[in-house]
Amino acid sequence: MPARNHTQWSANPPLETGEWVDSRIYSEQEIFEEENEKIFKHVWVPVCHESELPKPYDFRTTTIAREPIVICRGPDNEVRAFLNVCPHRGMLIERRPSGSFLEGQPSGNPKRITCMFHAWQFDMKGNCVYVAREKEGYQDRLCKENVGLRRLRCEVKFGGFVWVNLDDNPAQTVEEWCGEPFECLRESLNAEPLEVFHYHKAIVDTNYKLWHDTNSEFYHDFMHYHNRITGFNDAYFARKNFAYDNGHVVVGTFEVNYENYEGFESRAELSFPHLPPNQWYMVDLFPGFNFNLRGSALRCDIVTPLGPNKVMIEFRGLGLKRDTPEERMTRINHHNSIWGPFGRNLHEDLIGVAGQGATMGPGTEPRHILHGRHENETIHDEIGMRHYYGTWGQWMNRLPSEPDKPYTATAVAAE
Amino acid sequence: MQSNGHDQTAAVRDTIYRAALALDDQRWQDWLELCAPNFHYKITSFSPEINKDMIYLQGSRKEMDSLVRMLPKHNTDHSPLHRHTSVYTIDVSEDGKSAQAVSSVVFYQNMLDGNNSHIESGETRLFLAGRYVDTFAIEDGAAKFVDREVKLDNRRLDKGSHWPL
Repeated sequence: MPARNHTQWSANPPLETGEWVDSRIYSEQEIFEEENEKIFKHVWVPVCHESELPKPYDFRTTTIAREPIVICRGPDNEVRAFLNVCPHRGMLIERRPSGSFLEGQPSGNPKRITCMFHAWQFDMKGNCVYVAREKEGYQDRLCKENVGLRRLRCEVKFGGFVWVNLDDNPAQTVEEWCGEPFECLRESLNAEPLEVFHYHKAIVDTNYKLWHDTNSEFYHDFMHYHNRITGFNDAYFARKNFAYDNGHVVVGTFEVNYENYEGFESRAELSFPHLPPNQWYMVDLFPGFNFNLRGSALRCDIVTPLGPNKVMIEFRGLGLKRDTPEERMTRINHHNSIWGPFGRNLHEDLIGVAGQGATMGPGTEPRHILHGRHENETIHDEIGMRHYYGTWGQWMNRLPSEPDKPYTATAVAAE
Repeated sequence: MQSNGHDQTAAVRDTIYRAALALDDQRWQDWLELCAPNFHYKITSFSPEINKDMIYLQGSRKEMDSLVRMLPKHNTDHSPLHRHTSVYTIDVSEDGKSAQAVSSVVFYQNMLDGNNSHIESGETRLFLAGRYVDTFAIEDGAAKFVDREVKLDNRRLDKGSHWPL
C-alpha cells in the first residue's frame, strides 16, 4: 500500500480489537493521574532489595505514586515501610537516599527517625517517641500515641526484594499477586542470599508502559546486534511467552551463545543456583517491573511514572552475596556488557523508547500502536503486550484501543 | 620534575589532552595509540543509594579495541560528546618512569539524533561530570596510559552511551 492520507492512516487496522492500543494511553495527563490512583496505589511495588539495608537501623527512601516512603530495618531485623512524611507539618522526614538511623542527627537522637524541622522522633516501628515540648504545647489534647507514622504494607519476598503496597488492604499478598510467574526463578532466587552490586537510573521522556512493552516483547531484538548474533537460532524462535493472572508475563528460556559476540564469554561457570548454563528467563510484572536473569547476573527494572510522558527507571544488578571478589567482578562484567549504562543493549533499548516518547507527547494525534503479531505464543508473538493491556483495561475500566470507552472483556478478546 | 632532559609532567599533560581531543573526535584508534599494551580502562561511580563502589564498564586495551571496532554494528545515539578537561595534579615517580595524574572532566553532549532532532539537535547539554584518575608509563619522553579510571559523580545516566568516556 502506498503512503496513506489521514483518513486511511486513522482507520482501524485489519486486526482484531485487542491487537492494538490507542496512543492516548501513553500521552494523556488524565489517564496518567488515573493510573496513579487506580493502579499504583494498589499494587505491590518492589522498591529495593534487602541487601541495600543490611544492618539494623539502615534505611532506604523511595516513592510510589508521588508518595515518599522510607524503608528501615529494625533492631528486630524486620524490614518495615512508612510514609516518609512527618505527621506534624508534612515535612519530608528523611532526605537521604540511604543511610543509618544508628547515628544521631543534628535535630535528633541515635536510633530514631527524626524530622529535622521540629525534632519529632520515631522508632523503627513507626511509634512517635518524642514530641518537642509536648505538654507545654498540647497539654493533654494530643500526645505521642496520636501521632505515629503512617505504616505501609511491606513484605520481603522472591530473593530478598522489598515489596510495598500503599493500600492498607491489598486484595492479595505478594505471593498471591505474583507467585506463579516467579515459579520459574523461585529456586534460583531463594537458594541463597543475593546482593545488589549495580544501581543507576534513567529519566526518559516516554510513558512507563512503553518501557514495560520493550521488556515484554522480543521482536525488537532486531535492534540489538548482540542478541541477533548470540541468540537467533531455532531454540530462540521456539522460546515461549507465558501469560499469568494479574497481567504478568514470563518469557521462557533458551541457551544463549554469548561467545558469538566478539570479546564476550560464556556465563556457564557462574550460573545462578539451579539455573542451567547460559539460560535466560524474564519475568515481567504488571504494571512495570522486570526481573531478568541471564545466567550469572540478575537485573531488575523498577519504573516510577513521573508524568504521561516521563518515567524514571531504576536499574539494579544482583549477584550472590557469597561471591568471591573474582566471581563478583565477573558477574559485574557480564552484567555491564549488555545491561550497564555503557553496555551494548540498554543504550539501544533506551533510544528506542525515547523515540516512541518523541512521537507520543501530550496533544499528539491518537495513533494505533500495534500488538498483533501471532506466532504460536513464541518469542516474537506479541501476546505479552496483549495480555498486559487486557489487565490494564480492567484496572482502569478503559478500553485500551478506545480509552474513552469503558472496558468490556469481549472487546479485548484477541489475547 | 626534570629527568634526562625531559619534562615528564609536560608529557603527561600532553597525553591527557591529546586523548581528550581524540575521544572528542571519535578517533578511537588514535586514543588507543596513546595507551600501553597493558592498558586497563574503567568507568566507576559510588552509589549512596546502595552504598557501593560500582564499575559501569571496564576492559583491557584489546577489549576496548574490540568494543570500538564493533560500534558500526550497533544502533547508537550519535550526539557528539565533548570533554572539558583540567589537569589538577601530576605526581611523577622517583625514577621518572611512571606518573599518576588527576584531572577534572565534564562531558557535554551536543544533541543530534537521540530524541527529536528537529527540536533538540544543536543544543548542548551537560551529560556527565567526574574525574580522570590516570596512571602513565613514561619512556623516551613520552607518556602512555597504563590505567584510566573515569570516576563519575553520576548515577542518573539516562540513555547512557556506547562510547568510551
